[in-house]
Amino acid sequence: MLIPHPLLGLRDSQEFTYLGDANLMHRPDPAAENAEAAFCEYVFLRDNPAGVHRELWFHEQGDRSWLVVTRDTTTHEILGAELASDVKLGAAQ
Amino acid sequence: MTRLSGGLIDRSKPLNFTFNGKSYRGFEGDTLASALLANGVQLMGRSFKYHRPRGVVAAGSEEPNAMVELRTGARQEPNTRATMAELYDGLSARSQNHMGPLNRDLLAVNDLMSPFFAAGFYYKTFMWPKAFWEKLYEPAIRKAAGLGSLSMLPDPDQYDKGFLHCDLLIVGAGAAGLAAALTAGRAGAEVILADEDFSLGGRLTMESDTLDEAEAAAWIASVKAELESLPNVRIMTRTTVFGVYDHGIFGAVERVADHLKEPGAKVRQTLWRITAKRAVLAAGATERHIPFADNDRPGVMMAGAMRAYANRWAASPVKRDGDAIAIFTNGDDGHRTAMDLIAKGANVLGVIDARAGAEALGDYKLFAGATVTGTKGRLGLTSIEITRNGTSEWHNVGALGVAGGWNPNVHLASHHRGRPVWDDRLLAFVPSADGPKGLIPAGAAAGKGGTAEALADGMRAAIEALSEIDVTASEIALPKAENAASDQAAFWHVPGDKRAWVDFQNDVTVKDIALAHKENMKPVEHLKRWTTLGMATDQGKTSNISALAVMAELTGKSIPETGTTIFRPPYTGVSLSVLGGGDTGNNFRPSRLTPTHHWAEKLGAEFVEVGQWMRAQYFPRQGETHWRQAVDREVLAVRAGVGICDVTTLGKVDVQGADAGEFLNRVYANMMGTLAVGKVRYGLMLREDGHLYDDGTCARLFEDHYVVTTTTANAGLVYRQMEFFHQCVWPELDVQLISTTDAWAQIAVAGPKSRELLSRIVDEFDISNEGFPFMGCAALTICGGLRARLFRISFSGELAYEVAVPARYGQALMERLMQEGADLGVTPYGTEALGVLRIEKGHAAGAELNGQTTAQMLGLGKMVSMKKDSVGAVMSRRGGLAEDKRRLVGLKPIDGQQQIMAGSHLFTRGTAQETGTDQGWVTSSCYSPHLKSYIALGYLEEGDTRIGEQITAANPLEGKTLMAEVVSAHFVDPEGGRLRD
Amino acid sequence: MIDYATNAVTDLTPITALGGTVARSESFGALSLSENAGLGLASLSLRKSAEKGQEAPQVFGLPLPGVGKATAMGAYGAFWTGRDQWMIEAQGKGEVDFAAMLKSEAPDCSVTEQTDGFVAFEIASANGAGPLEALMAKLVNLDPKAFGPGQVTRTGLEHMTVFLIRRAEDRLAVIGMRTLAGSLWHALSVAARRLEA
Repeated sequence: MLIPHPLLGLRDSQEFTYLGDANLMHRPDPAAENAEAAFCEYVFLRDNPAGVHRELWFHEQGDRSWLVVTRDTTTHEILGAELASDVKLGAAQ
Repeated sequence: MTRLSGGLIDRSKPLNFTFNGKSYRGFEGDTLASALLANGVQLMGRSFKYHRPRGVVAAGSEEPNAMVELRTGARQEPNTRATMAELYDGLSARSQNHMGPLNRDLLAVNDLMSPFFAAGFYYKTFMWPKAFWEKLYEPAIRKAAGLGSLSMLPDPDQYDKGFLHCDLLIVGAGAAGLAAALTAGRAGAEVILADEDFSLGGRLTMESDTLDEAEAAAWIASVKAELESLPNVRIMTRTTVFGVYDHGIFGAVERVADHLKEPGAKVRQTLWRITAKRAVLAAGATERHIPFADNDRPGVMMAGAMRAYANRWAASPVKRDGDAIAIFTNGDDGHRTAMDLIAKGANVLGVIDARAGAEALGDYKLFAGATVTGTKGRLGLTSIEITRNGTSEWHNVGALGVAGGWNPNVHLASHHRGRPVWDDRLLAFVPSADGPKGLIPAGAAAGKGGTAEALADGMRAAIEALSEIDVTASEIALPKAENAASDQAAFWHVPGDKRAWVDFQNDVTVKDIALAHKENMKPVEHLKRWTTLGMATDQGKTSNISALAVMAELTGKSIPETGTTIFRPPYTGVSLSVLGGGDTGNNFRPSRLTPTHHWAEKLGAEFVEVGQWMRAQYFPRQGETHWRQAVDREVLAVRAGVGICDVTTLGKVDVQGADAGEFLNRVYANMMGTLAVGKVRYGLMLREDGHLYDDGTCARLFEDHYVVTTTTANAGLVYRQMEFFHQCVWPELDVQLISTTDAWAQIAVAGPKSRELLSRIVDEFDISNEGFPFMGCAALTICGGLRARLFRISFSGELAYEVAVPARYGQALMERLMQEGADLGVTPYGTEALGVLRIEKGHAAGAELNGQTTAQMLGLGKMVSMKKDSVGAVMSRRGGLAEDKRRLVGLKPIDGQQQIMAGSHLFTRGTAQETGTDQGWVTSSCYSPHLKSYIALGYLEEGDTRIGEQITAANPLEGKTLMAEVVSAHFVDPEGGRLRD
Repeated sequence: MIDYATNAVTDLTPITALGGTVARSESFGALSLSENAGLGLASLSLRKSAEKGQEAPQVFGLPLPGVGKATAMGAYGAFWTGRDQWMIEAQGKGEVDFAAMLKSEAPDCSVTEQTDGFVAFEIASANGAGPLEALMAKLVNLDPKAFGPGQVTRTGLEHMTVFLIRRAEDRLAVIGMRTLAGSLWHALSVAARRLEA
């Protein structure tokens, strides 16, 4: 596969390490009352869609950036890729 | 000799070769198959199941029959298609799959037993008794079946891999491919033109068609010259594009030196990963058979192949000059073969055309509305039975060409679940629009097999492909060409009672398909598996569609209703050697050498692989005959004096920034933000699920600058994990991370005399216990001005330090320490002694941090700070983990000379050894020279309250148990006084 | 305070990444391969506070290059390694505390000593770009045509991670992990030798 790196353009997926569901960026509030339940969900439960999936890829043999890649898991079509830090900071604003 | 005139062989370059030990002569440009045919050799092998005599049927990579063992010795290569083996001087080949000589195969008895070998026979026959499969059936079948054999010697050749990038990849260099390459090349696009053949032209080299009223070879030569002159075009012959992968990535194998007797300095083959913006599939088409009774005798071949042998290789298909040749066809194409053979002066009996209204193209006998219903000839065709209107007569012939129509080579187009679609006019499947993105079929592969239409279609495909990537290509002047007549009848096989072969390579007949149908294996996927049709190395290139047609007839459905077969990579077989790509032995994977590696090597150290690292395991001295002697000596030297060990392999990550402390507070379970500058702290990292992840030290060099260490094994993973938290979870923090593992050579100096030794190398630095206490760190200079970092940390439990210098000085520092410490008895130690020392001290390592354990189990539960959040903190407090009562303990066998094996399970004395009564397990074990006893570490239920208890350590793998006493995990200096003095 | 920037006065004798006392170099047809033991390296990262509106500093007179670019001026060079992150090179500064020199140029940035974190192999072609690009095709999955002079990238090479800097049409630097120097030399030299065959 080729991953459209937002800074570097198309890069072969061999340079990347795959992590999975981009929801891992949304770590639960440890101070919340139901923190343990929320963490259980966060750690152990994932959606596994046949179709469009937002997932984390690490450009380990590259610029070491974490990307959020939107990919159709049934066709491997890649619909977009963003720097994870931008996504996270953008969401916070 | 049955060599004809003309052809694209170089008669000035004769080549000698042997087949089954007999010498023959061919010419440059020959394949093994064409050279054998030209020498009158029809019999080339035996079939897989029935050991029927077989000859070559095709002229390309689709060949199912003529598989040979090529070369001898370590280069012996089984199952090589004679049609793809280029002739070279000294080539040696043998037929395979027979016992005894090829013409008197003892296993031909299988043919008489064929009723037992019908469809599904493996499933039906060898099911019972079950135990017989492994011991009796399988070895016997393997011995009888296996086709070619391996040399069992290491492959002496080099294989390579590489990466190519282009705008347009053109697969196939026939009429369509050449037209596409010329169009794209002239447009300035980066073009790769790949073909499995050793020369360009594809089918153009095998037909008698003219281009611009001259031989096609002239046009091919001019195109080749132009393409070679274009710097943006790369021509790759002998290169098979075998698979299409996501986003325009293609796999290809270039047979760099397969055509040479020995590769010399060259690599044998190269595996290319080609990234193409667009691709044109101009892979041509493959001719199919018409199954009829006994259609598998040597001498029966595809009519198109017969034409190819005559035109390109000047090889006649008959054994003796003058033997008659007949053609059996269901369309116009068979007649072309007759015409070309006549032009070459061959003796053509005539054309048997299944179409009642067929017309002759020239001066030869036509059997219209007739079929071939039988053949004779034990080791080669001698006669055929022609049946017309119910009347049969036998004719003597030495060869029969069969023309059943052409199947577009849709293989690559079906690699992304693209399902070919049926074309009623062509009577074939053609690539559909839902194939791999960016792959445009053209020419015969797209069902446009006429020479003129293939040329035009290749040009069209190139223009279309390039326009999609914003490259403008113009039409080129194509040579004047024609499209041969291609009328065809939907005539798929000749019905009859005798066996008619569909799949030659796996010996599947029309009857087998009928049986599969009767047994309700009707879906094409079931048909394949029940009969093994299309599952041989040729993937059924010549047989799949015929089989579908037979099944369609039996079910009364149309062919597209019956199904289609799609193809997986690889298009043709790819050797494991080239997939392994490149280095073998010690260079099979990269190895990381520590900065003192060469010094250790000189000292005669034994090395051990630790991940990618090569680490000194121990340093044997003269007279030591067992590794334990060296390890015991090294351990005792550290406890009594001073030892030195390269610990560079521990991961080091530089953490800087205003929020460095806060970041480390979050990734470590314990508090790091409060660490004073100039201090080191032991740290635990948890996974978010609350289990232990890694441990190490964290040193604060400056207010906003820390250096953390990780275990050797987890260095890359921890660094990755830290980047994850930095970028994905807390990007608002001002933190900068970078690995410095390789930058610093780090040497542990351990033992009561370590301070004395270090004091001899540091420059004006107060190394006293007061000036530099336990868990101190400092930047300083040593050895007259070399910048260094000093950490007072201990893995062994002794007074100890780690000193780091720029890696290039590591070896010199090691040598200096050896020199300066000679009078102190300084002793280098390796990973074995390191392990013994830490087990004696009860320090955790990989075996204790195995992903299933917690801080509490280590006895370090309080390190998970309650004052702050950190990764894994919440989950570490959940019920299942918080209540876990297993604790790290030391174990001492009652008989100290008996080793407790790591992995043993612990049981309360006298209880049954079952999962339900399991009390824990042994993590690490060693011989402690200090205690003169074997010792171990392990996790034990309520271990902290069971000190002194005698328990059972069971090793059910070896059927051994032994008794051990539960003791403190700190076998040495439990109060920790030594490291603080 | 120790003056790290001056030449080290230690009496310890350094070795090169390949373990020699002198840098290794070897020729393979048009290609030559040399270990650059004198290259000083230090990483430079912008602090978070500096991001807003503030431009990246110049170091040793070098403007810090943009994404995927490398620049050089005299003995110094800089190449992009990640967002807000560069590696600064100094020829002939392998044995001094180059990081300390860089830190004084960019006191508001995070600077980390990297000289001995890496090994640098300089590859030169005596016959233009062709041999260099042929070598690249055997080693790295990059389009040489899109990797002209002044480009830098990090990628995988025989399971190792390397920086590649196209210093000129006919010159390429391969900078890999120091502890993998032997394996990297093996990979480069084998590929270069095979091009000769």
